[in-house]
Amino acid sequence: MRTEVVQPSRHLPARPTVAAGRRIAWRCGPSDEVEPHLLGAASPASRASKRVLVVDDESSIRMLCRVNLAASGIEVLEADNGCDGVELVRREQPDLVLLDVMMPGLDGWEVAQRLAADPKTSRIPIVFLTARAGEEDRRLGEELGGVGYVVKPFDPVQIGNLVEEVLTRIELGERDALRRGILDGLLEPPS
Amino acid sequence: MIPAGPDPGLSLEALTDAADRANRLQRVTDLLAEALTPQEVLDAILTEGLRAAEARAGAIGILSEDGEWIELLAQRGYKGPILKEWGRFAVSAELPMAHVVRTGEPLFLESLQARNELFPNLEGSGRDGHALAVLPLALESGVIGVIGLSFGDDMVFSDERRKMKITLARQAALALERARLFEAEQAARQRLAFVAEASELLASSLDYEQTLARLTRLAVPRLATWCAVDMVGADGGIERLAVAHEDPEKVKWALELQERYPPDPDSPHGVSFVIRTGEPDFLPELPEAMLEEAIGDDEELREIVGQLGLRSSICVPLSARGRTLGALSLIAAESHPPYTQADFELATELARRAGIAVDNSRLFQEADKGANAARALAYVADGVVLLDRSGFVRHWNPAAATITGVSEDEALGRRVESVLPAWESLVSHVQLVRPDDVLARPVTVPITLQGRELWVSASGVDFGEGAVFALRDVTDEQALEKTRSDFVATASHELRTPLAAVYGAVRTLRREDIELREEDRLAFLEMIEDESVRLTKIVDQILLAGQLDADAVEVELEPCDPAQIASTVLDSASLHVPEGISLRVEANGVRPILCDANKLRQVLVNLVDNAIKYSPKGGSVEIRLAAENGEFRIEVADEGLGIPSSERERIFEKFYRLDPQQSGGVGGSGLGLYICRELVERMNGRLEVDSEPGKGSRFIVALPAGG
Repeated sequence: MRTEVVQPSRHLPARPTVAAGRRIAWRCGPSDEVEPHLLGAASPASRASKRVLVVDDESSIRMLCRVNLAASGIEVLEADNGCDGVELVRREQPDLVLLDVMMPGLDGWEVAQRLAADPKTSRIPIVFLTARAGEEDRRLGEELGGVGYVVKPFDPVQIGNLVEEVLTRIELGERDALRRGILDGLLEPPS
Repeated sequence: MIPAGPDPGLSLEALTDAADRANRLQRVTDLLAEALTPQEVLDAILTEGLRAAEARAGAIGILSEDGEWIELLAQRGYKGPILKEWGRFAVSAELPMAHVVRTGEPLFLESLQARNELFPNLEGSGRDGHALAVLPLALESGVIGVIGLSFGDDMVFSDERRKMKITLARQAALALERARLFEAEQAARQRLAFVAEASELLASSLDYEQTLARLTRLAVPRLATWCAVDMVGADGGIERLAVAHEDPEKVKWALELQERYPPDPDSPHGVSFVIRTGEPDFLPELPEAMLEEAIGDDEELREIVGQLGLRSSICVPLSARGRTLGALSLIAAESHPPYTQADFELATELARRAGIAVDNSRLFQEADKGANAARALAYVADGVVLLDRSGFVRHWNPAAATITGVSEDEALGRRVESVLPAWESLVSHVQLVRPDDVLARPVTVPITLQGRELWVSASGVDFGEGAVFALRDVTDEQALEKTRSDFVATASHELRTPLAAVYGAVRTLRREDIELREEDRLAFLEMIEDESVRLTKIVDQILLAGQLDADAVEVELEPCDPAQIASTVLDSASLHVPEGISLRVEANGVRPILCDANKLRQVLVNLVDNAIKYSPKGGSVEIRLAAENGEFRIEVADEGLGIPSSERERIFEKFYRLDPQQSGGVGGSGLGLYICRELVERMNGRLEVDSEPGKGSRFIVALPAGG
């Protein structure tokens, strides 16, 4: 298992086999504690730029998000599986999570459930980024507290704007309206 | 005036005369005793009787049933058509015969003058008439008729003569009554015989339509000139089932008449009336006015009716269990005597029996249909359960037994809940419909029956006397449907992900607001290429799986060299093999085998790709070829994750994918191994797997050796 933590100014090639990123092995479970010294965790208040965690087992999707979000001045964290995703959210307290659903091990639904169940992570907005296009999936995404639902294939060029808009509207207290928007497909970018 | 003769008893002549009269009377008595029919009795009276009474002429009148009329039945010796002129006269009339009937006493009028004294109203008629003796035909029960005797001259009726004539009349009355009784008995016997014959006919067959048609033919001409049977049709209309007449030509006529002049449903007479009301319609004499009304201005109809010569009719309902099923019509026409009360009673009895026969036949047909339906249900794949209103099982077909695990013997006649405790949960969601409602909508419910977990589709119809349920075991369909919908979701995901990469890479490359680094640009181009290849593979696999399903994949078996195929597969795999994985071929005593080289290559490419994919930590991937036990084995072995024993057969199922947690999150369409096994089997081989979790897997392609 690998987790890549990438600063906006840095990048990694697409192929994981030849990836040069820092590898951190996580144990996965409710009692897991992440050794704090492994990454300099920053509290949301102490930084100026927004930070987004991308959780997806597909490296190409992570790369698309990374490059395009960086272009919008957004800092990107990455996890290639659900377990690592949950741990990174707890520790890094990102401003928003872009969450894939169908992943090996812990899938996106379970990740969302765990984040919602933990007071430390329950307020962090989740935007699902998934190939699951069914209406029932949207409903589940809404029930699990998602504030956005993006169906693959999506336009990565818009992803930075989407994140900014979601965060702005949440600040304006429109979290519930955003959630309802999932059901209307309001946040689906043109494709 | 002729003297009455010397005192009888005083002379030989008188004695001879008396003996002669006694002889004549004896002859009449003998003749009357032999007479069987009323006609014979009348004949005897008017021949020997007249002679014995020394009368010139005589006439016999019979009192009508209502006691109001006297009908002259026979005469002898009178000139002119007196039967026609005097055929029928009232008992109350001032006439000698009516007088005698009224008084019951004989009347002896010795001259015309004596007659005129008694019946002044007759003065002037029968001028050349002479003495007249009018005698009642009397029985103990009363007067039944009267005999009038006319003499050639005025007469003195001595006591002896009077007695003799009274005796004659009494004997005549007895003979007439006896003959009438005999005739009635004969008629009753004939009726009984007819009813017996008809009953036998009605019981002979369950095809009541045919039977009733034969009944009409039996009734003609004995009981009727015309006989017809009409039935109430399914739509409530009247349908003529059969009509009979002695002359088949006239049957055609009747049918045509029926068609041209269909019966008025509101008619106060005939078939319509009888079927409408269930009451009989008996017209001993068809009233002229009724015929006139029916005919109206239709001259053609008038002619037809005229030719039919209708006289009298009986129409009686065919009924059973309070329902009128049809009507039996009898018509007396032409020379057939008009109907009497006895005929009407016979017709009623006949119709009653026919009604029962029709009802029986219909009940039998229903029962037979029911029995057929029950037999047919034995072959229906759906479980059929029939419950009566109290919830007792009345029918439980073999399919119901198979689905529920409860046999028919165990279920029949018992309460369904006691037979099958899960019944309530099975049918609680079923919306019972009425038979005339829309079709019952089946509800599919998961249920545990006798320890088996099933999906059962159930629907039900409430038909008032109970409910019938149809059950279908849809467990397999449900599983297949789940697999299918899983595949759609999987295929959609598998296609959307590479599409997202291609589309996203292109969109990003075309961004003008940022300048991509050269490495990123190259990485995106590579992403487009790789993901396009992946898309193609997935689409190919879906297509191939579809072709395999449709049996549209052709396999051409030719001798080929498996070692060479294995080498080329590994050669192309080596072009993109990840670091840490080594590829090897090991071949021992390889001979050419019979197979489809392209298909075998496809299989090996897939197995080698899998071996690499499931060896995330590296290791060797090896193809071993060897002839063994009469077959040729090609093994693809790796040192990767391995496959848990519980999954080893399932991995060959279509769309089946290892739990991602166990497979290290390796994706795929779920079709690769399914395709491999299908292809190998089409080459008359087997594909098997051997694996130890954590230490690696070994896929074995076993093909027939030699070739």
